[in-house]
Amino acid sequence: MKKINSIVAILCAVMLVALLTLTACGGGTTNNKTLYIGGTFALTGAYAEDCAAVLAGFQDYAKYVNDNHIIAPWYTDRTLPDDVTIEVLWGDDQLSADKALSIYDDLKSRGLLVERITGSPEGLALKDILNLDRVGATSQSTTPAYLSPPETIFTNAPIYTDQMAAAAEWFLEKWTAAGNTAKPRVAYLTADSSLGRGIVIPEMQAYLENLGYEFVGSQFVPMVPATPPTTQLLWLKDNNVNLTLGCMINPGSQPTIREAVRLGMGPDLDYKITFVFANPSHLQVFVPAMGELGNGVVVTGDFVALDANVAGVQFANQLQATYRPSNKISHVMYLDGVLEAMTQVEAQRLALQHTTIDKLTSLDILEYGYYKITNFNVGEITISPLTYGPGDVEGVDMVRIQQVQDGKIVEVGSYPLRHIYKHL
Amino acid sequence: MSLPSGIFQESYGQDMAIFRTKLQWILLLAFLVVLFTMPLYASDKILTITTMMGISIISVLGLNILTGYCGQISLGHAGFMAVGGYVSAILTAKLGLPFWAALPCAGLAAGFVGIIFGLPSLKIKGFYLIMATVAAQFIVIWLILQFRDVTGGTDGLAVPRPELFGYVIKTKGAYFLLVMIIACLGTFFAKNIVRTRVGRAFIAIRDNDLAAEVMGVNLLSYKLLAFFIGCVYAGVAGSLLVHYFAFADTNMFPFGDSVWYLAMLIVGGMGSTSGAIFGVIALKLLDEAMTLAGPALATAFPAIAAQAAASLSLIMRGIVIAIFLIFEPRGLMHRWELIKAYFRRWPFSV
Repeated sequence: MKKINSIVAILCAVMLVALLTLTACGGGTTNNKTLYIGGTFALTGAYAEDCAAVLAGFQDYAKYVNDNHIIAPWYTDRTLPDDVTIEVLWGDDQLSADKALSIYDDLKSRGLLVERITGSPEGLALKDILNLDRVGATSQSTTPAYLSPPETIFTNAPIYTDQMAAAAEWFLEKWTAAGNTAKPRVAYLTADSSLGRGIVIPEMQAYLENLGYEFVGSQFVPMVPATPPTTQLLWLKDNNVNLTLGCMINPGSQPTIREAVRLGMGPDLDYKITFVFANPSHLQVFVPAMGELGNGVVVTGDFVALDANVAGVQFANQLQATYRPSNKISHVMYLDGVLEAMTQVEAQRLALQHTTIDKLTSLDILEYGYYKITNFNVGEITISPLTYGPGDVEGVDMVRIQQVQDGKIVEVGSYPLRHIYKHL
Repeated sequence: MSLPSGIFQESYGQDMAIFRTKLQWILLLAFLVVLFTMPLYASDKILTITTMMGISIISVLGLNILTGYCGQISLGHAGFMAVGGYVSAILTAKLGLPFWAALPCAGLAAGFVGIIFGLPSLKIKGFYLIMATVAAQFIVIWLILQFRDVTGGTDGLAVPRPELFGYVIKTKGAYFLLVMIIACLGTFFAKNIVRTRVGRAFIAIRDNDLAAEVMGVNLLSYKLLAFFIGCVYAGVAGSLLVHYFAFADTNMFPFGDSVWYLAMLIVGGMGSTSGAIFGVIALKLLDEAMTLAGPALATAFPAIAAQAAASLSLIMRGIVIAIFLIFEPRGLMHRWELIKAYFRRWPFSV
């Protein structure tokens, strides 16, 4: 009894310490010579791998700026004062709306004047609050719903509906060039989540039908399927579908394609069908895992391939060689971390041209920072330079289309944004 | 309930009172003063955490009536919260009703949906009832996603903030007070309902439903009543949640939350109103502490991947639940009672 009481007393003491820690953090003071970047990262859950790479990108980029006081090797004229340091603040939101909110409050109280969004749950939960607080946020995810109306969440990839529109245009050109006269039949094969269902909107279907497609229907696959989605794939076969469009992450798209190949479904297999996924299903992750098994799979709106000879990839490689030589990150979302961090620093740097660091507010960063980012070259990691402004939250103006061919990533086209989502 | 030595009750009313000594009343008043003045001195973060705790307490109090008192285990509580949240969102955002009208409607709607999913409880119990309530969670969310024109589907639904006499409750402090007032009322109601004939019937059903039926307790009506009351709480909590975020989205009501609500009951102590509150506070604090500890650990020990450090929260919650199931299945409340008794009897405690 005494022993158990002691254990409980210790547990209570731990709780009390936790409470006091929280209180202390709530009233924390900020160092006015430090610029903070970061935000919430879903390091637990379906996006954990992506977010761990993003966070690593943030951390390495912060070290680079602290060492060199420039925002990128190709922007030697865009400098930060020597006495200003960059610090990354982060918390694991576990893809939970309420956790994202408490982390947001915590980081804000510690001096973070910007924010970042991992995915739909946090984006949907925070978008109103970010707008009320006039805090600009970068995002790795481009779910249409939390970008409408366009307010203070800025993306570096095209909105998923625009990605799907580009893929539809690309496929239709190929279809017509091959001499097909019948309408191609299209269906959604997408994740059963906000991410996946975000493209299942009337405007998207109307666009596809206007383009010349026959819309067949939708099939949903769990974000991380426990069993191969055989039923969904056979439904596509039964309905003579030629093209599928969907948003999935790699743990969803890889087993789906593996099963499709087993069923003889693919552009070069017995049943001719092309699978298109939006960029959370990164070919840079997909190809090393699937090899030639993934031939024909298309991914839209993603960054350059990791072996591309562009300044941004070279910069990322340099960061890894300098700051994590023995612990390199091979995930493409490392590029996103560098890119988002660069955007947050650039927004703050621009704002500092209008005010001093001790008077810097999130509103300054939004109005004199994010809104003034024009033709921001991110080393060609994205298909076009980033431009933001009031009402313009979609940083790029084109959609890159990549396909697996002979076990390699090949860029097969790029298409302008069609702004499918009604509010954008 | 045990009392300090030398205190005797002289009437039935005194014996049944929840607070029976002056010290208890003083502590209650002090607690309420500290609680309701929090917006004056607490940071935004603390107010956010305590507001979320308040909403969870309301929900878990309902689950406690359903599971802790009546023995009907539910793993669909977040789904019932979603019903309340969306009813409130639709009534205020689409039909223009004030929050104060939408809030009771949210509770009632969730209560009626609870009755529907509670109907199988007459025929099935235990593991099978758990599966039926899990189905409730997924069916509710599926339906919300299908009725896109009304619910917004995956886009969610923007929800207006509550107003009181023209004053928009949008600051964290104001919303905290709103949630705490409702949480206090909910606690008062929950504490009292189990001391009534209905509460005794619930307990009888939980302990042995066959014996309860033989004694004249109508199993169907009381089980459904438990579902109704439990889900009314969930509906109110759901309504408060969506108005807090000014947004309704199915992601706010994940299945995982249903599991955690049950875990909170286990940790706090099933079948005890105070236990439900203890459980929410303990697990939420643990969660927040681990969220803070993740980045600190990753900085202090760079060899640990940030991802591993961040996962501590889930790991710790799992460990705590396992510890309680093994060492103290009756929860924190029971342990608290033992500790109080230990010190009251000191130096004669064993």
